[in-house]
Amino acid sequence: MRKSRSAEPHRGVPGAAAGAVGALAFLLLWELAARAVGSEIVLPSPPRVARAAAELFPTVRFLAALEGTFLRGILAFGISLAAGAAVGLVCGLSPVLASALSPALTVIRATPVLAVILLALIWFPSGAVPVFAAVLMAFPVVVADVRQGVRSADPGLLEMARLFRLRKRDRIRSIYVPALAPYLASASHGALGLCWKVVVAGEVLSQPARALGTGMQGARIQLETAEVFAWTLAGILLCALTDAAFKLAQRKVPRALLPS
Amino acid sequence: MPYSLRDIRKSYGNLSVLDGFSLDLAEGKVTAVLGPSGCGKTTLLNILAGLVPPDSGELQGLSESRFSYVFQEPRLVPSLTALENVELVLRAVFGSPERRDRALSLLAAVGLSGSAGLRPRQLSGGMRQRVSLARAFAYPADILLLDEPFQSVDLRTRIGLMDAFLDLQTADPRTVVFVTHEVKEALYLGDRVVVLSDKPARILDRKELLLPRNRRRFGSSDLSDVEAAIYRLILG
Repeated sequence: MRKSRSAEPHRGVPGAAAGAVGALAFLLLWELAARAVGSEIVLPSPPRVARAAAELFPTVRFLAALEGTFLRGILAFGISLAAGAAVGLVCGLSPVLASALSPALTVIRATPVLAVILLALIWFPSGAVPVFAAVLMAFPVVVADVRQGVRSADPGLLEMARLFRLRKRDRIRSIYVPALAPYLASASHGALGLCWKVVVAGEVLSQPARALGTGMQGARIQLETAEVFAWTLAGILLCALTDAAFKLAQRKVPRALLPS
Repeated sequence: MPYSLRDIRKSYGNLSVLDGFSLDLAEGKVTAVLGPSGCGKTTLLNILAGLVPPDSGELQGLSESRFSYVFQEPRLVPSLTALENVELVLRAVFGSPERRDRALSLLAAVGLSGSAGLRPRQLSGGMRQRVSLARAFAYPADILLLDEPFQSVDLRTRIGLMDAFLDLQTADPRTVVFVTHEVKEALYLGDRVVVLSDKPARILDRKELLLPRNRRRFGSSDLSDVEAAIYRLILG
């Protein structure tokens, strides 16, 4: 049988080499675009951004902002994961509750993130706005994936569980949890990326103390475009590092989820 | 009779599967229900187990009963070992030490002592079905339902599985309903054989098998008269 082609990035040395070539090509294009524009305020060159980052990153102001954003992102991720998994599990087990919650989830999913942030600005203190907005954006993603995971449970095993009168907690632990583990992993991955983006966007508008978004906005007001790029780079690195940590943890978690 | 079905009717849309069907179950005996594929044997088991409600009719002594089921496929939880799969169905019934002892003893009875720690993907098809048999007998059921559980394996494995079932049944006799379309299986395992027609299933005949099971051999001619009579019924 012919093997199907995968769109997954190639791993190993050829993959790393291709990645390095791609990154270099991107930097080259950026440099060429910056030269074509000819204005550091509109589009600073990569070396100018690197200098701005080198100056910014060791400062106390930056490290405090990084810590603040990190804590908000992790808090938002934790809340959306816990609440989304619980609601997704309930929706997966009960079609009636799933139908009852469907309109609310549809409204949340369809609401533009900026509208959520603007409303949150009215309701909450500035530090809580990014967390609220991120939870509201990531929560439906987790609910949908977990619900799908619960529904993917083997109907033959569920019938067996019904016949042998398995307790609900045994059904959840032995049948539902292993079925939804890959969906939960996918939901967590998506929610984590979404949380960073929305937290930083919320910070840009709500301007809390100690926040990457606040630093970004301050640099923009002062037309320090290279510094805006440096703050953005910090956000990207934060996202990439937590993504890598998540993938590392993911290799361990499914075993821990399985009953001993 | 402690367990019986009376005048059961069941249809799926316009398709009548059971129409006025009645059956008594002999306690501690194996009732082999023999019928053509798709005649409604699985529907009959599902009604007995309470998985499917009949459209009308009466179930006697069944509503309070506990059921064990050996399915056509083993239906083991992939993430659990053979031992954990057996223990899983005992969690609500027994405490931890008794549960483990019972599960280990049943796995030993089906010849899987050395494989208790293996997961289903590490077992052969025949071994998986042995775990399913051990699970069914470990569970303290009043009635054991077997839905053509010996069909998806080769002949040698099938005979081994049937012998494992007979050993378990001899050691701990259960009220068993065993549905199959294989005449030889019904004659090897049954205390009596109920022959069904095609849909809607009705009982064509009942045969009491008086030859002791320990004197039967799979495929032998010991019950050739009964076998010939059954073939005449089935083939008209």
